[in-house]
Amino acid sequence: MREILRLEGLSYAYEEDRTALADLSVTLYGGQKVAVLGNNGAGKSTFFLCCNGVLSPASGEIVLEGKKLERKGPDRSLLRRSVGLVFQDPDSQIIAGTVEAEISFGPMNLRLQDEDVRRRVDQAIANMQLEDFRSRAPHYLSGGEKKRVSIADVLAMEPQLLLLDEPAASLDPANSRLLEQNLELLSRRGLGLVIATHDVDFAWRWAERILVFHRGRLQADADPESVFADEELLTRCGLEQPILYQVGILQGMKPLPRTVEDMRRREMKAAESV
Amino acid sequence: MIVTAVLTAVVVWLLFYGTVATLPLGMICAAAGAGLAALGRHSHDGVLSIDIIAQRSRLCSVNPALKVCGCVGLLIFCVAADSVPVGVGLALAMLLLTVAAGGLPLHDYLALLALPAAFMLVSGLALLFSWEKSPVGVINLPLAGGWLSVTAAAQVRTLLVMAKALGAVSCLYLLSLSTPMTDIINVLRRARVPAVVVELMYLIYRYIFILLNMHRTMRDAAESRLGYDSYRQSLRTTGQIYGNLLALSFRKAGACFDAMESRCYDGEIRFLEQAKPLRPLHILTAAGLALLAAGLLFAGGRM
Repeated sequence: MREILRLEGLSYAYEEDRTALADLSVTLYGGQKVAVLGNNGAGKSTFFLCCNGVLSPASGEIVLEGKKLERKGPDRSLLRRSVGLVFQDPDSQIIAGTVEAEISFGPMNLRLQDEDVRRRVDQAIANMQLEDFRSRAPHYLSGGEKKRVSIADVLAMEPQLLLLDEPAASLDPANSRLLEQNLELLSRRGLGLVIATHDVDFAWRWAERILVFHRGRLQADADPESVFADEELLTRCGLEQPILYQVGILQGMKPLPRTVEDMRRREMKAAESV
Repeated sequence: MIVTAVLTAVVVWLLFYGTVATLPLGMICAAAGAGLAALGRHSHDGVLSIDIIAQRSRLCSVNPALKVCGCVGLLIFCVAADSVPVGVGLALAMLLLTVAAGGLPLHDYLALLALPAAFMLVSGLALLFSWEKSPVGVINLPLAGGWLSVTAAAQVRTLLVMAKALGAVSCLYLLSLSTPMTDIINVLRRARVPAVVVELMYLIYRYIFILLNMHRTMRDAAESRLGYDSYRQSLRTTGQIYGNLLALSFRKAGACFDAMESRCYDGEIRFLEQAKPLRPLHILTAAGLALLAAGLLFAGGRM
């Protein structure tokens, strides 16, 4: 897999004595699906803001595609365009009066030609199925539609890595399913996805790698099986095992089922072989 | 709406009393009042509905610069022309355009017009009546040793003022009921209004809705905890809500700035504009309106 972003010994503090991130080293790859777990105030959002360059770390290094970045100047803008960040609340992200204008904000900031901006906006609109809302005002859209606009906002900047801060929070089941489908499509195109979430079932179903944060420190960086097998880690960080993980253990299944469909398929196969 | 309808009937009666025979005048007044009361529908959320109407209007796709220039031009002409036919003619033309071409139901248009109309009618009443020592008017009511009169001169003057006001308001209504705020801001940007003003307008427009939303949520939450139970209590609750709104807006502004930074914001807000080309039909319509206004002035003359 292609390395995109590497953080080395990163630290950040909002105030002198209150450390939000301490000595963080992690590497993120293209096309990988990563879930970030941790309770409130564990440092997930700070981690995202540092990855995207909104916050400048107090110490440590950021390496983008093998190139060490400076804190200020053109390097920071490079970081912002390569690593896209979707905020938890779409209302703090959306600023324009129409959906189309809103999505064009990022590409316009990249000082591209108008045709290029238009192409990117059209593509982001198609990717998030927003064609019908193109000239509507964002404040008359529903929560799920606003979320799609806020993702399209960032897609239009054509990042290589997409960070999403609790994207499914406050979405209804139908909209979460749509979101998951859209994320799957993006991942297949080689975009690296990093999602902060409280939903361990989603992390188990979706992620191929899990980062666990606790009190500003990275506590685990491993595949979902090893993370959820470590009960001491889960208790320490206030996490729980996913339902399907527990069911799989109870049923003695190997490998453990990731989705209900996966489980059903295997049970049918077992019934056939009997 | 009922109040406006009754006011309209009264003012029309006072305006034409003495020039039109009593019986037909009575019928005209009753018809005007009843028509307004029946057709107009009351709506409470005025500001928001204007914004939605503008987005849904069929005239939304007309080049916004043409709409802004045309409407403002006609408005200035209407005020400067000092002519009753121009005011009334423009008001009718604008009504026709907004309703027939824009696709806004007539009763919605009348309901929206009711608010400024109520102001105009009340000021019309004030203009009509004057206190005179002797009964010189067409209507004279004894008051405090003199007469409260409606003179013929006052009728003419009031008619002119009200026609001008109605025409001007109608011009503005055509613009605001067919042009979303973002389009108007884009026109201002093209007209070289300073960038800082235009950017502030974009953000204010967007944040009006966010703040309204936050306020509504907080008000409902307070209401559900009996925050408005007594007069004292509701005063205190309102104060707390406004204080809270200030603190929340600061936090929201911080989050918004972070989000803009994360999309490479460099101190200048730019958006892609939707292309709304000038079409011959639209230019012809604008020219037709200008000709109509000039023709009315020529035929009707100044009053």
